[in-house]
Amino acid sequence: MFRLTCRVAWASLVRRRTRSIVVVMMIAVSLWGLFTMEGIYGGMTEQMINSAIRSDSGHISIFAEGYRLDPDLSRQVNNVAKIESQLVHAPHVSSYVKRLKQDGLVATAHYSRGVSIIGVNLLAEEKHGKLQGYIFKGEFSFGRKDRGAIIGFKLARKLHVRIGSKIILSAQDSHGEVSSVSLRVTGVLKTYNMALDENAVFLAEKKARELLAVEEGVSQLAIILHNDSQVAELQQKLRSLFPSLEILRWDELYPALLQSRVMMDGFNLIASLLVFCVAALGIFGVMLVSVLERLREFGIMLAIGTRFSQIRNIVFVESFFLGFIGCGFGSLFGAGTLYFFKVKGLDLSLFSDAFDEFGMDAVIYAIIRPSYFITAFVAVSFATFLSVLIPLRVLKKSKPIEAINQV
Amino acid sequence: MFFKLAFRNIIAARKRSSVTLFLTSITTALLVFSSAWMDGSHFTMIQNAVEIYPGYIQITEKDFRANPSYDHLIFDASFIETKLAGNDAIANYAARFESFVLFSADEKAVGGMLAGIEPVREKHLSRLFSSLQEGEYLDGDDTNQLYIGSELAKRLQLEVGDEVAFIGNGADYSFAADNLIVKGVFQTGLFDFDASSAFVYKGYFDKIMAAENRATHFIVLPKKPGQAEQLAAAIAADLGGQYQSASWNQTMAALVKAMKLDSFFGYITLGIIFIVIFFVIMIYTLLAVFSRIHEIGILRAIGTTPQQILTQLVLESSMLAFISVVIGGLLGGILAYYFSIYPIVFSGMEEQFKQYGLAASEMPTAFMPLTILRDMTVMFVLSVLSTLYPIFMVNRFKPIEAIHHV
Amino acid sequence: MFFGYTKSHVQAELFCIAFLLTFVFPLSAFAETAVEIINKVQSNLNGKTAVMNLSMVVKGKRATRTMKMKSYSCGDDKSFIQILYPGKDRGITFLKIDNSMWQYVPRIEKIIKIPASMMLQSWMGSDFTNDDLVKTNSLTDDYTKQLLAEIDQEYQVELLPTEEAAVVWGRIVMGVSKQFYLPTTVLYYDEDDTLIRKMIYTDVQPFGEKYYPTKWLMLPQEPEKIGKETMVEISNAVFDEDISESYFTKRALKRYSN
Repeated sequence: MFRLTCRVAWASLVRRRTRSIVVVMMIAVSLWGLFTMEGIYGGMTEQMINSAIRSDSGHISIFAEGYRLDPDLSRQVNNVAKIESQLVHAPHVSSYVKRLKQDGLVATAHYSRGVSIIGVNLLAEEKHGKLQGYIFKGEFSFGRKDRGAIIGFKLARKLHVRIGSKIILSAQDSHGEVSSVSLRVTGVLKTYNMALDENAVFLAEKKARELLAVEEGVSQLAIILHNDSQVAELQQKLRSLFPSLEILRWDELYPALLQSRVMMDGFNLIASLLVFCVAALGIFGVMLVSVLERLREFGIMLAIGTRFSQIRNIVFVESFFLGFIGCGFGSLFGAGTLYFFKVKGLDLSLFSDAFDEFGMDAVIYAIIRPSYFITAFVAVSFATFLSVLIPLRVLKKSKPIEAINQV
Repeated sequence: MFFKLAFRNIIAARKRSSVTLFLTSITTALLVFSSAWMDGSHFTMIQNAVEIYPGYIQITEKDFRANPSYDHLIFDASFIETKLAGNDAIANYAARFESFVLFSADEKAVGGMLAGIEPVREKHLSRLFSSLQEGEYLDGDDTNQLYIGSELAKRLQLEVGDEVAFIGNGADYSFAADNLIVKGVFQTGLFDFDASSAFVYKGYFDKIMAAENRATHFIVLPKKPGQAEQLAAAIAADLGGQYQSASWNQTMAALVKAMKLDSFFGYITLGIIFIVIFFVIMIYTLLAVFSRIHEIGILRAIGTTPQQILTQLVLESSMLAFISVVIGGLLGGILAYYFSIYPIVFSGMEEQFKQYGLAASEMPTAFMPLTILRDMTVMFVLSVLSTLYPIFMVNRFKPIEAIHHV
Repeated sequence: MFFGYTKSHVQAELFCIAFLLTFVFPLSAFAETAVEIINKVQSNLNGKTAVMNLSMVVKGKRATRTMKMKSYSCGDDKSFIQILYPGKDRGITFLKIDNSMWQYVPRIEKIIKIPASMMLQSWMGSDFTNDDLVKTNSLTDDYTKQLLAEIDQEYQVELLPTEEAAVVWGRIVMGVSKQFYLPTTVLYYDEDDTLIRKMIYTDVQPFGEKYYPTKWLMLPQEPEKIGKETMVEISNAVFDEDISESYFTKRALKRYSN
């Protein structure tokens, strides 16, 4: 029975080929556009959030009390071993890094600038946030004897330094004395985290400890979890274990990024709603006309004993066919396009100044989320269902017998 | 004749016409409103960024922008003053002297900007006055009273009435230092600005910093901010090669480009919606012409040429499109106009705006009749275009085929 | 200070010997190594202690300013400077101990520690930076030396900073007078071998047993700074006399302000 319904529905779609193709195309093209847009915008936002998490905040960051208001060298996390033992055993924790930070001055023979000095362990940073991926020039290494420094690309530009250039880093050490060290630029970093790109000088943790005369403490512990849904839980746990420390989530450290995400989601939702409403209107028009055209036909079918429910099913199936075929093609092309942009990236270097201003990468890598396709499928089903309700009402109200007699 | 017929046909196919009309006008309204919204928000963001402090036009010595040192000051401020005073297109202007000093309160020493401003004129030129958070704004007979950014005050742990010292270099590179009393605290919302700037009355500043008749720059408010570009050029010509006069387009180039990028994404999104609408209109036209295929066949049989039928159908769709575009344009225009007077307020978005160096949560739309006309034209062309394929298709039928078409 | 006496005594002797050697014997016969030359220069410039009256003339593109000051120093790690002229700056004092610098300004009655971030700012509007005053980069430890040339009256010594030295320069070329073992010209280059600044030392005069250049001319060479200069003139220098330790404490800043 169902097969018959399908066959009848299919046959009537084929009979009005042009019309069906246009409707399928409409759905396919609009979904393709939507997917592409969602994937690229989503990619853009996630890229920003990701780089902040990888290069700085982690999912959770631990600071000493008061550090964020007054990032002084005296405010350090001292019970590092105790925290580490907790982190090592926590099942959610994927990795963590320790960083030593202090504001200071970088100088060349020509220029000098205030900077943020960050002592890191490159191996740990690579395992933690794949920091190497952000290397823009030079290499991901502090060279022989840790005499190298990796600096942000905007800073490099302002100081007019190249790979191999000498920079002198000065800062106040833990005793309040100004101490200096000579380093060579081994790498330039482009993290799209504006604060880092403009101000950061990374050097080996050991060198930083020598420079700042700090033996043990760290300024920041950044933690990345396996799954970002467990962030709040771990934060609670750490807070109860270490009440005297400041333990903050990435979205507390970068509230603007979270807002971007919320805003982007809202924007996508509005755009999708608009597209689906309009598409539903399109299907509605086609189905209404096709029902009206066939009043006579349906009248005959009813007259020879076909039940109304069967006719209703035929109309539904027709509509669903249109919707699903369109949805199928749209998803296929959309997924293909997104995959392409996921691998190759969408290069908008034309606007690279603007991207720099926003702190974003000019090459956007799309993301593909199953939710895009599921949402679209549900929305299309809903739209196709809604769009035949009125035509069916019209069909029910009209008297088929009259229709037969009408020529 | 064609016109009358077309009108009758539109009336006859009332349902179809109204759906097309509805769709096209809603789309037009959407486009008009979106454009107004995007332009408006960009305009507001730029305007905010410009008006908080940088100003529409900045006049500097010719090399100051490239090399902002005391060697490239404006050494004859009164010359510029007289020139500006004589320019009718200028609503207001003021001199500023910015210098970088070390602020010191108790044990804390923080580097920052100390600028001398003309408080009374500055009121009309920037948002310094309206950004007052605590205490009072400066006025023209102040001495060592300081108007300080909220974040800088926080870093130095200062409250209104507290004392803070500064040391720096005067305009002649001589040593300068004094104790200042915090008179007011301001918050513009731009974190970096609030964390590094403080102001004193220029008369006092000039004495202590040996800066009489000197300035780092002048800012100018045009009577018509929209014509800042032209005015900047006119001022430059008037002042001669010794000085540079730059409009916000130059001084804030990166922000302007960022806004263009945002529009780019906005139009892509609109484009996707338009594609869908284009299809829907096409579908409706397709349905409409096919429902009239019998009629068209008869018309052809009695000797109407395909040319005439084409003209007839295109005229119909054009008329329909025209009416819809006018309705949509009006609707969108009214919305744009309404929200330009009663702006939309985003209360939760301050953080993000701050990140982009913007400090506004109120976003009026831009009501610009020319843009509305542009959008209406685009929609008109688009909707007529979308009817062409079905019209050409139906015209390909032979009369007999058409009459028998079911 | 017995030890102090002997040291300066020995220095003086060495100096006399060097003096004799350079003049009495033909040059080639007594080629000195660059290291020796610089060691002598270093010890000639930095006595154990020094008290000097200085005047500093800063020539900008538009104006010229003159300042007078008195400086007390002990070795190269402690010094104290008192501004005497112009009147409005009189009483400003500076104290430098190792790498740190404090400033006292009577007008604001405040002692300010110059933060690391201000170290490369100009000192009192001159072409010297705070860092130039504070820096303890010693010519002996931070550079490798090489004799470039010997001209009539001068050695040309090239100083290359060692890899560890926190020195911004790419290299320094120092002209050393054979007569006094004092610098005549010092050229500072960046890493791309662009000349950044030029110091010229002239008018060597005797102060007690010591000879000392009394005019120091600093000529910045960067394109945007061409035309500026800072001239320091020394009058009344006293070397190797004991200076009260009280000058090198933070309390001195206020105490010796007038």
